[in-house]
Amino acid sequence: MSQNPSSLNSLVSVKNVGMVFRSSAGETTALQEANLEIQQGEFISLIGPSGCGKTTLLRLLADLVSATSGEILIGGMTPSVARANRAYGYVFQAPVLYDWRTVISNVLLPLEIMNYPAQTRKARAEEMLRLVGLEKFAKNYPWQLSGGMQQRVSIARALAFDPKLLFMDEPFGALDEITRENLNLELLRLWRETGKTVIFVTHSIDEAVFLSTRVVVMTARPGRIERIIEVDLPQPRDENTRELPRFFEISTEIRECLRRGHQ
Amino acid sequence: MNNPTLEKKSNSFVPLLVVAVIGLILYLPVMLLANYGPAQKLLSSGAELECKTALECAFQMRNPVVPAPMQLWDGFKNMSLPPLEPTSVPYNLLVTAGETLLGLLLASVTGLLLAVLLVSSRAFERSVLPWLVASQTIPIVAVAPMLAVLLGQYGVQGWVPKALIAAFIAFFPICIGLAKGLRSPDPLSLDLMNTYHASRVQIFLKLRFPASVPYLFTALKVSAAAALVGSIVAEISSISFSGLGKMLAENSRASDGVALWVIMIYGAVLGIVLVALINWLERVLTPWQRKG
Repeated sequence: MSQNPSSLNSLVSVKNVGMVFRSSAGETTALQEANLEIQQGEFISLIGPSGCGKTTLLRLLADLVSATSGEILIGGMTPSVARANRAYGYVFQAPVLYDWRTVISNVLLPLEIMNYPAQTRKARAEEMLRLVGLEKFAKNYPWQLSGGMQQRVSIARALAFDPKLLFMDEPFGALDEITRENLNLELLRLWRETGKTVIFVTHSIDEAVFLSTRVVVMTARPGRIERIIEVDLPQPRDENTRELPRFFEISTEIRECLRRGHQ
Repeated sequence: MNNPTLEKKSNSFVPLLVVAVIGLILYLPVMLLANYGPAQKLLSSGAELECKTALECAFQMRNPVVPAPMQLWDGFKNMSLPPLEPTSVPYNLLVTAGETLLGLLLASVTGLLLAVLLVSSRAFERSVLPWLVASQTIPIVAVAPMLAVLLGQYGVQGWVPKALIAAFIAFFPICIGLAKGLRSPDPLSLDLMNTYHASRVQIFLKLRFPASVPYLFTALKVSAAAALVGSIVAEISSISFSGLGKMLAENSRASDGVALWVIMIYGAVLGIVLVALINWLERVLTPWQRKG
């Protein structure tokens, strides 16, 4: 396992982290001995089959569950302190927009909870909607938007309070291929413009390679990190990136790695 | 993207009218069918009557099973005018409506408080919920006179005890409905709040309460009908000087069938108006709900 020497400077540091669920059927190891160092500004994808612990790892980082062993540091803080300091924005598999709030008021939600001054809130939310290109839909209700638009609103909401980190758990998994590729491009633009560090869970190899600076390949039973693959495709990436020979090479490498882990 | 609201502007009154017309057409045959037998019996009893045949008598019995259209019309006229006289139905309807509305308000407040406690504490739920269920099995006809006497000792008289009885019946659906609503947010919606490190109070204010509003309105519609029945029963079964229930009791003792029908129809209209009022409030207060 590649242990980054500059772990003191990493934004996210995962050391020997394990997670065991106890149920009536006995113990299930959701994650075993995970080690990962993430630097500021990286775009990291976690990829693997279901049950490989990729979502568990993200939820551990977000302090939505607690690790049973090992140590996680986010900007030098434990996950619970990081959460209390609103260090990250989280985008879920579903948009999770609140039905009773209009689009803009959904983006306002975190700002209200974090007690941002009322005068700056609205300008900030409008800016975020412009960033994802939905300023025209500010007054609509979520059900009036398509699935892709709803997920864009949820990204705007996650960025509203300007966290350094963006956690994304298969955000485009439920969308069609064309919408997904458009949103991939848009996400890369957001990443370049905002300079956020993104940790992105997916089970699409294509998506992982296209978006990431590094891909963390995970395998199931027990869930663990199999390999971390550097994606040295040129930046900024665009529609043509997917046609580069190097894109296929890296995709193949990940595919073989996943297959090996599956046996 | 255009607003994709699929609002068909079809007139929702048309089907309503069709049923009303069918009802009107059926009214006369049903009335004759119901009154013919009693009218025949009345004729053969040799009572002094102005009518010669059973068919004729079916239209003019003093205490008909179903009143004839003219009887009903006269009944409405006599009992409604002038509307604000203490002996006229509209005045008494207002009294009952006031009791019901106050009852609903009290029921909403207690229902909300209880629902919040039920959702916040498992121990509270386990220890109190069975008693709440038990409270609903007590017949109000039995509680009403007792409560009236009890409250009378503290100088609480008139329409307030009736409102309390209405609230006693109406709080239960509201409490259960709201508790379900407060628990309705899915795990991801709650996770979202946790990623913001939101406090319990904030989760209640920004997530649980708004999520439970549609449940509240569904419960209110059930409770409104129950509260109306509650206040009328309370009026009948305790000392009352006004209200639809008091009029029902009086006219029942006087065997005035036409009057009972008039009061019943007024009561039904009051129920419909109450539910319509709640529907209107729901549309105004929950604009996010999909129409149709």
